[in-house]
Amino acid sequence: MNYIKNMNTIRKISYASLIYFFLYAPIFVLIIYSFNNSSYSFLWQGFTLRWYQNLLHNTELQIVAIHSLIIAILAATFATGIGTVAAVNLYRYKFFGKKLLHSLIFILILSPDIVTGISLLVLFSVMKITLGFWTLLLSHITFCIPFVTVIVFSRLIGQDKHLLEAAKDLGATDSVIFRRILIPLLWPSIIAGWLISFTLSLDDVIISFFVTGPEFDILPLKIFSMTRVGVKPEVNALCSVMFGLTLGLVCLYQFAMRNRDRGT
Amino acid sequence: MNMMLSSLRSLLSSPRKRGSKPKYLFFALFLILSISSTLVQAEEPILNVYTWSGYLPESVIHQFQQETGIRVNHSTYASNEALYSKLKANPDIGYDIIIPSADFVSRMIKQDLLQPLDKTKLHYLKNLNPTFLNKACDPGNLYSLPYLWNAYGIAVNQKYHNPKTITSWNDLWQSKYKEQLLAIDDTRIFFSMGLVSLGYSENETNPKKLNEVFLKLKDLMNNIKVFNLDAQKSIYIDEDITLGMALNGDIYLAQIENPNLQFIFPKEGFVIALDSLAIPKGAKHSDNAHRFIDFVLQAEVSKQISLETGFSTPNRAAELAMPDNIRNNPFLYPTKEIMKRGKFEIDVGEAARLYEHYFERLKMEH
Amino acid sequence: MIPDKTFRALSISSMWLWLMIFALIPSFLLLMTSLLTHGDNELLQLRLTLNNYFSVFNLSYFKVFLRSIMLASSCTVLCLLLAYPFSYILARSEAKYKRILLLLVIIPFWTSSLIRSYAIVAILKTNGIINHFLLWTGIISQPLQLLYTHTATLLGLVYTLLPLMIFPIYSSIEKLDTRFIDAARDLGANKTQVFFKVILPLTFPGILAGSILVFLPAMTLFYIPDLLGGAKTILIGNIIQNQFLAARNWPMGATISIVLTLIMSIVLIFYWRTSPKRQDSFYELH
Repeated sequence: MNYIKNMNTIRKISYASLIYFFLYAPIFVLIIYSFNNSSYSFLWQGFTLRWYQNLLHNTELQIVAIHSLIIAILAATFATGIGTVAAVNLYRYKFFGKKLLHSLIFILILSPDIVTGISLLVLFSVMKITLGFWTLLLSHITFCIPFVTVIVFSRLIGQDKHLLEAAKDLGATDSVIFRRILIPLLWPSIIAGWLISFTLSLDDVIISFFVTGPEFDILPLKIFSMTRVGVKPEVNALCSVMFGLTLGLVCLYQFAMRNRDRGT
Repeated sequence: MNMMLSSLRSLLSSPRKRGSKPKYLFFALFLILSISSTLVQAEEPILNVYTWSGYLPESVIHQFQQETGIRVNHSTYASNEALYSKLKANPDIGYDIIIPSADFVSRMIKQDLLQPLDKTKLHYLKNLNPTFLNKACDPGNLYSLPYLWNAYGIAVNQKYHNPKTITSWNDLWQSKYKEQLLAIDDTRIFFSMGLVSLGYSENETNPKKLNEVFLKLKDLMNNIKVFNLDAQKSIYIDEDITLGMALNGDIYLAQIENPNLQFIFPKEGFVIALDSLAIPKGAKHSDNAHRFIDFVLQAEVSKQISLETGFSTPNRAAELAMPDNIRNNPFLYPTKEIMKRGKFEIDVGEAARLYEHYFERLKMEH
Repeated sequence: MIPDKTFRALSISSMWLWLMIFALIPSFLLLMTSLLTHGDNELLQLRLTLNNYFSVFNLSYFKVFLRSIMLASSCTVLCLLLAYPFSYILARSEAKYKRILLLLVIIPFWTSSLIRSYAIVAILKTNGIINHFLLWTGIISQPLQLLYTHTATLLGLVYTLLPLMIFPIYSSIEKLDTRFIDAARDLGANKTQVFFKVILPLTFPGILAGSILVFLPAMTLFYIPDLLGGAKTILIGNIIQNQFLAARNWPMGATISIVLTLIMSIVLIFYWRTSPKRQDSFYELH
C-alpha cells in the first residue's frame, strides 16, 4: 500500500515538474542570453555584463516598466471587482438583457486585439478624451473583465444553492450574502482572475498601442518596437531583472505567510 | 465609481482578515501617485516624438534636452500603417514629430494630415544631400525633411553561395533555391521585388501589370522559407537563412558579427526607403518641433544618429564627417552609379488594396 | 445593512454602466462600420451597403478560417490534456504548498510573451539549443528543422495560452467535495469509473471555461504563430489586421470580425447544447 502511494507521489511530482520545466525553459534561456556578448545573434558569443550596465542607465526602459506595473495592478484590481460582480449577477439574478450580457462577455474575449483597439480608439475620439493614462487604464480594465467573469462564474456553477437559500432563510440580506458567503467561497477564483488579468495587462501590445498617448508609454510597446530592430539583450536583461524581482517577492510572501499557516 | 469602490472594499475587507486597511491605503497611494504623475508632465515645455524603434538614440535625446531644456517624450511605433491608422482615427492625438516613410508622407500630405514646415526656423537645411530632396512624395519638401534612408536588396552568405553569381532579383527565382529564401513580410516591399524584376515601376497601379507580378511572385513562393518583418539580423548572422531580401543597414550591422555576409544592390534597381521628419497637423508644440528638426539637421548630431542606428544618413555634411571606413562602406554609401538605380516609393492610392489583395492570395493559395 | 433591492440595483447597474460604455457602444460602432464603405481619402464613407458581407463568403477566406479553427482546436485539446492532470495535482496538494505552486505557474508569464517567444526561437533554431544538444550527444548527425514548422506554431500557442487553461480547471477541482469521490468508492466504483462518472462531470464547468479562454484567443492570435511558423501561411487574425492597417479597409475588417464572432457563437451554442448536463443551471435559481 505504501509502495503504491509512494509511486503515485513520484509520478505526480515528475509530471508536475515536467510541466514546470516546460513553463520555465524559455525563461532560463532568456536569462542566459542576457549575458550573451552579442548584439543580435541568438548564438552564444561569450559572457558579458554590459547589458545590465546599459540597463542601469536606460531610464526610458525603467520608467516605462513602472508605468506598465501601475496600469497592470490597477487594471487587474478594478477588473476583478467588476468581473466578480458581473459573475455573481449572472448567477443570482434574473434581469433584463441577461443574454446580451453573456454575448458581450463572449464578444470581448473573441474580438481580435486590433478590433478592440481601434473601436476603443474611435470611442475615445468621439468622446473627446485625450489619449494617455486614463484611456489606457479604462481599456485594460475592459478587456480583463470577461476573463475574471468566466473564471469566477465557472466556480459559481455547481455551488450548493442550498447554502444560499439557508442564508436567506436565516434573514441575511443580499449584500451580506455577497460579502460574508460568496466572496470567501469564491476567493481562489477571484485571486485566479486577478492574476490572469494582471498577466494579460502586463503583456498587451496591440490594444495598448491604439489607446495610449504620447505622454504615457508602456513596456510591451517598447519591447515590441525593439524587436523590430533585433531583440537587444538589454531587453533580456530587463526581463531577467523583473523575473528575479517577482520571484523574490513571491518567496518573501510565502515566507511571511508560512508562520500564519503554522498558526492555523 | 462609488459602486466600484464599495465592491472593492467588500473584496478587501472581510471581517476576519487582518491587514486589510493597509491594502486599501496602499492602493489609494498608487492612485494618487499615478494621477499626479500625469498632471506634472503637462506643465513643462515638452515635445512628443513618435518614431520607429531604434531610430532615435537616447544620447541624442539627452543632448537635445540639455541644450534646449525641452523635455522629450519618446514613443515608438512598429509600422507605418499603424501610425497612419492612429493619426487618422484621432488627429488631435498630440504627437509633435513623426518619421513616416516616403509613400506615407505622400499619402498624409494628400489627406491633409501634416503641417507645412516653417523653413525660416531651420538653419541647417543646406546640410542635406540633394539626391534625397525634392522627391515625388513631397515636391519642394514643404512638409517633410529626410532623416535616414535604407535600401532593400539581396543578402548573401558567401560561405554557401558565390555572391558574384547573384546580381539580379531574377536570380532568386532559380529552382536550386527551393525553400531557402527569406522574404520581407511587407506588401509593397515584397511586390517591389516582382515589379522591378519585370522592369515595371515600383509605384505601378495598372491592374493588368499587377496581375502579371502576382503570377510571377506565385512562382517564387516555393523558394521562400520564411517571411519576416523584423529581426532579420539574427536570422542571417545565425545562418538560419543564407540568401534572401534584406536592408543594407541590417547587413552592415550583421556583417560585424558574421563576416561572411554580403549585400547586393540588384542591377535592375532597388527600393530606397526614405524616412522623413514631419509634423502632424494636430501638434501642440510646433515651435519645439522645429527646434528639434533643426537640431537633428546639424552635421554632428546627424552623424551620431547614423552611427548609433546603423542606417545611412541623407545628410551630406554628416556623411563627410564620418570616419573613413564608414563613409566608404559599400553597403551604407554605395557609388553614384549604384544609387542611380535606386527607386523611391510614393503612395499608390486605391491600388494599395489591390496589392494587399494579391499578397493575401499569395499566402492563402500557398 | 443595504436593503436587498438597492444592492441588486447597484450591482447590476454598475456592471451595466461599464459594459455599456466600453463594450456595447464600441461593438455597435463596429457593426455600423461593417455596413459602410471604405473611402480613398477618408477611412469611411457614409454609404450603407451589404457588399462587405457578400465578399466575405468566398472559398479562400473559408480555407483560411478552417485553418485557423484547426490550429485553435489542436491548441485547445493539447492545453486541456496537459493542464488537467497538472491542475489536479496542484489542487489536491497540501494546503501550505498550493499558494506558491499556483504563483510559480503564473510568474513566467509576467515576462513579455514576445521575449519568451524569441527564447523559444533560440531553442528551436537550426543552430539553437535543442539541435546543439542532439548533435553533441550524437543522437543525430544533421540539425533538425524545428523552427518555421507547424509544430513550432502549435508549441508557441500552447505555451502562451496554457495558464488560461490551468487556472479555471484548478479553480473547479479545488472546490470538489472529496465526499463525492469517497461515496462513489464505497458504492464499488473503480478508479476509471470514479474519474469519468464523478470527477469529470463535476469539474466540467472549469474545463468549459478553460477551453473558451484558450480557443477564442487562439483563433485570432497571429503574431506568435507568424514568428515561429515563418509567416508563410495566413490566419484569420492576419487577414483582419491587414484589412484594418495595410488595406485601409475598415469596413471589411469589421465585417470579417463580426462574421467570425457569429460563427463562433453558433459553435458555442452547439457545444453548450450537446455537453453533459451540469449540476445546476443558473436559470433554476430564482
